[in-house]
Amino acid sequence: MALQIINAGPPPEEIAERIRTAIAQAMPEAEIVVHPENPGHFAITVIDAVFEGLSRVKQQQRVYGAIADLMAGPSPPVHAIDRLECKVP
Amino acid sequence: MALEEAVHQEIKELVGASDVVLFMKGNRQAPQCGFSATVVGILDSMLPDYQTVDVLAAPHIRDGIKVFSSWPTVPQLYVRGEFVGGCDIIQEMFGSGEIYETLGVEKVEVVQPKIEVSAPAAEALTLAAEEHGGPGRELHLVVDASFQSNLSIAPRTPADVEAIISGASTEFVILLDPISAPRADGITIDVADTPNGQAFKVDNPNAPKVQKMSVKELKAVLDANEPIELLDVRTPEERAIAAIPGAVLLNEEEAARIEGLPRETKLVLHCHHGGRSHQAAEQFIALGFSQVFNVIGGIDAWSQEIDPDAPRY
Repeated sequence: MALQIINAGPPPEEIAERIRTAIAQAMPEAEIVVHPENPGHFAITVIDAVFEGLSRVKQQQRVYGAIADLMAGPSPPVHAIDRLECKVP
Repeated sequence: MALEEAVHQEIKELVGASDVVLFMKGNRQAPQCGFSATVVGILDSMLPDYQTVDVLAAPHIRDGIKVFSSWPTVPQLYVRGEFVGGCDIIQEMFGSGEIYETLGVEKVEVVQPKIEVSAPAAEALTLAAEEHGGPGRELHLVVDASFQSNLSIAPRTPADVEAIISGASTEFVILLDPISAPRADGITIDVADTPNGQAFKVDNPNAPKVQKMSVKELKAVLDANEPIELLDVRTPEERAIAAIPGAVLLNEEEAARIEGLPRETKLVLHCHHGGRSHQAAEQFIALGFSQVFNVIGGIDAWSQEIDPDAPRY
């Protein structure tokens, strides 16, 4: 049998909450929904007036920039964002 | 998250080093991930020249570029110092045609490829289109860099071109992306029986084939100092008996070096009589090389026609 160790990380709901908090800190007015998908994968929807007039790339950079810490390092809590929707209210 | 000043400075210089800079896994000749390969394919179709940075070779850049761009994935495209996007966004911009303006290149009008479809193939394609297609979902033909064809049903993008179909009265369209279109001009689609049932059979006259080179032509090429890679696919024992001057033994190390070369590099392969080298040549064609030559008659012909001092065996 392979000597595989499964390290239990924090539950997905807790990581989702950390994502939410990190985005809220950078974008205090935003309405934020974070859905855990597969382990380490999340789907995020952010609705904020600051997105007005920004290109899709610039909108997404605002969100990715806010959660960069959670995605950095050799085994980060957030492995990938499967979907990121940025909307203007 | 703050980026170390030195790393920030290094990335800033990389981004500014050229008008178009792609941070990717691997390099332009040998991308090491599918997303990087997709972006390279798109850029290659529009630009003769651009800069790539292999993040696999520099872990601090691999981590650093994500912070620098506020973007969590690689590849990442920069144009004139501005972050443009990753794979999804580049594909989308290519589909809409927006990428031409971003890169500042003329949009090339893609010629509609002519495709011949046999009657049984037309019938099967009509059926497939009716069964799996629907509003906005149509038949696509992709011809990749190794000239392998692939049929699928997918949404139409603004960049797609319609093939001009001949040979059968058809109720369907075949769409091609702008990279596949020129590679597909003149192909025929037929059906063939396989052990797993019927399948489409595509014959593509554009697919590069192994070309023949006589020993006289080889001598002329060598005398003219033309840039070629002359590869000897025999065993080291055979090489000890006789060798063509300038030929390099194709061992694993050498094969790896060749794989990293531009695909238009002229490769000339020889063995004892031309059989083994033909097989090796086919493999380089499959890797996407377009200029692959097999020396007819191998070193035996070389001994007889060019250099009588090279012992025959």
